[in-house]
Amino acid sequence: MSAQKKKAFQIEEFKHRVVVDPKYAEKTWKILEHAIHEIYNHNASGLSFEELYRNAYNMVLHKFGEKLYSGLVTTMTSHLKEISNSIEAAQGGLFLDELNRKWAEHNKALQMIRDILMYMDRTFIPNTHKTPVHELGLNLWRDVVIHFHAIQSRLQAILLENVRRERSGEVIDRGLMRSITKMLMDLGPSVYQDDFEKHFLEVSADFYRLESQEFIESCDCGEYLKKAERRLNEEIERVSHYLDTRSEVKITNVVETEMIESHMHRLVQMENSGLINMIVDEKFEDLGRMYCLFRQVSNGLVLIRDVMTSFIRDTGKQLLTDPERLKDPVDFVQHLLDLKDKYDKIITSAFRNDKTFQNALNSSFEYFINLNSRSPEFISLFVDDKLRKGLRGVTEEDVELVLDKVMMLFRYLQEKDVFEKYYKQHLAKRLLSGKSVSDDAERSLIVKLKTECGYQFTSKLEGMFTDMKTSQDTMQGFHASHGSDIGDGPMLSVQVLTTGSWPTQPITTCNLPAEILGICEKFRNYYLGTHTGRRLSWQTNMGTADLKATFGKGQKHELNVSTYQMCVLMLFNDADRLSYKEIEQVTEIPTSDLKRCLQSLACVKGKNVLRKEPMSKDIADTDTFLFNDKYTSKFFKVKIGTVAAQRESEPENQETRQRVEEDRKPQIEAAIVRIMKARRVLDHNNIVAEVTKQLQSRFLPNPVVIKKRIESLIEREFLERDKGDRKLYRYLA
Amino acid sequence: MKRKDTVKLISADEMEFVIDKDAAMVSQTIRNMLTSPGGFAETELGEVTFPEISAVILEKICQYFYWALQYSR
Repeated sequence: MSAQKKKAFQIEEFKHRVVVDPKYAEKTWKILEHAIHEIYNHNASGLSFEELYRNAYNMVLHKFGEKLYSGLVTTMTSHLKEISNSIEAAQGGLFLDELNRKWAEHNKALQMIRDILMYMDRTFIPNTHKTPVHELGLNLWRDVVIHFHAIQSRLQAILLENVRRERSGEVIDRGLMRSITKMLMDLGPSVYQDDFEKHFLEVSADFYRLESQEFIESCDCGEYLKKAERRLNEEIERVSHYLDTRSEVKITNVVETEMIESHMHRLVQMENSGLINMIVDEKFEDLGRMYCLFRQVSNGLVLIRDVMTSFIRDTGKQLLTDPERLKDPVDFVQHLLDLKDKYDKIITSAFRNDKTFQNALNSSFEYFINLNSRSPEFISLFVDDKLRKGLRGVTEEDVELVLDKVMMLFRYLQEKDVFEKYYKQHLAKRLLSGKSVSDDAERSLIVKLKTECGYQFTSKLEGMFTDMKTSQDTMQGFHASHGSDIGDGPMLSVQVLTTGSWPTQPITTCNLPAEILGICEKFRNYYLGTHTGRRLSWQTNMGTADLKATFGKGQKHELNVSTYQMCVLMLFNDADRLSYKEIEQVTEIPTSDLKRCLQSLACVKGKNVLRKEPMSKDIADTDTFLFNDKYTSKFFKVKIGTVAAQRESEPENQETRQRVEEDRKPQIEAAIVRIMKARRVLDHNNIVAEVTKQLQSRFLPNPVVIKKRIESLIEREFLERDKGDRKLYRYLA
Repeated sequence: MKRKDTVKLISADEMEFVIDKDAAMVSQTIRNMLTSPGGFAETELGEVTFPEISAVILEKICQYFYWALQYSR
């Protein structure tokens, strides 16, 4: 080569020697077509994979891919048409079988074809964006066989028929059903849904609608629920066996809607077996079932909750307005506690401790407990009874349990300050008469009240306990220093009460007998010697005395009486016979108290240490009293007329109420001032709202009362009305 | 003849190459040929003919199979 030749020489492409034989494509295609036929006829064993693969490869390579593809489509379609004909020809029960078999065969053939045409699948098809072979096969199957209308409708009908048969209890071939549904799913989720699922759900809805109608006519609530549950479980099982898992949610929805939601109200209100009866009879299993089933349905639980709430409120209201019950407060409160226990049990065992139900229960209890204005008093009486005698011999944990339950009821009260008042009174009586069963129980209850309501509530109660203790110490000191002086005079035991802590009682007059007076003076001097600057006054209406009495035949008894009664009885040491007027004159005890104590001394059977003339039940001013020589009693120690806590009579109740109202006024005022000091300017509605919020842990203030208090504060120049806006209030420093 | 799972690859000029099945499976095509559900001749006899591939090429291919196997582990 000369260096001058600067011709750019081309390197020619190495051209493969292409056999551009038009017949070549035809020939190759024929081979492949023949092969496909053989595959469909299960004769593939004679073929050579490699040869077919090579042929397909060559066709695609020589740009005959299009021909190959279209040829494939036509061949497959024609085969499938044959197949669908044969399936259609199948009779009755064999239809599904035949379909299944042909489907399996088709799948196998399809795979083989795909393997042969792998090269086309990998290169030609992505380039031309045609559907790959496998998908193509499925689509063709779907279009030609399944959607062939004769087959489609028959298929649907048979599948649904099978499901219906199984629902009525027959056994069907589940494996077959499984493969068919799987086939539908393989063909595409939309196929499955449209061809089968949609109709399945519709038919099921109809079926269950009918069935639920039947059931509800014939069974009661519990049975109906059992049946519904059974059907639900059945459906879930069916899905797991031969349906797509995504159908599970849909079919359970259908069952629930038809069987439960449409009949919800009817079920709950059913006569003799509805929700109310189940609660009353404590059918936990049924209730639990109802809860589970209704939980799946929207508003199901709301319905149960509402019915239960109204029922509880009604029962509660009934309990409260029943006059029989109200006669015995202890019994009444016990009933309340039992009611609460019952519902708690229902909620824990049947309703799985659902919080919303607990809340509903609490609100209903709160509602009806506060309907009766005497509830605080009754609860206090209940506690009193328990602490006096009910808790004797009960273990510590049980004591705690009972007290906790009482605390629960206490929480429901809106008027907690009324309870406080009564509790103070009862506690005072208990402490002074020494009747409390267990000091520990008392203290633990105080602790509970403190955690519930704060220190303020219990400060006075604790003060009472401290007083008792201090008095004990004082007595010890007194006896130690004056023990020798007393000799064989009466034994004195004094409790010194701080006026602020103990419930105030009006001071009553009473002339103590001379012997008592002497020792009382000694104590007074002793006490004032140690604590100067204090004032002592004897509370004669709260004391007790033990007297040794000798009767006619010489029988001795020890009488435990109140201080008043002691004064009266001591008079009989000097005289055998006294008239009412004389007694009153000497002792100076107030009339009503005197009458009461004389009544218990003379009129009560078995304790009539005095005889009255005339022997009437009531004490008149003209009665005379004689010492009863013939008094007998089985016991050596006789207790007469102790001051036990009782239900207050109406006028006493009114009185207490009044006092409570009086106490509330300064509290409201304090709250108002507190709020205004912080806010400076506030309008009327907001003040009322804030005051209510602050005080609601103790009691519910009446808006009218609040208004009155505001006006009184305005008068006293703590607040002033705004000049421009009548509703606005301003704080005056 | 080794009795372990082997296949025979036959070239255009009738050279026979006996290799392990694992090695042959490296090629998708051969794998499909051998595992196709249909009753093709290849599956039954355990040998594949390549009438368009020469012996030299086929030899290189077999060497590739073993190389691929070695480095894929």
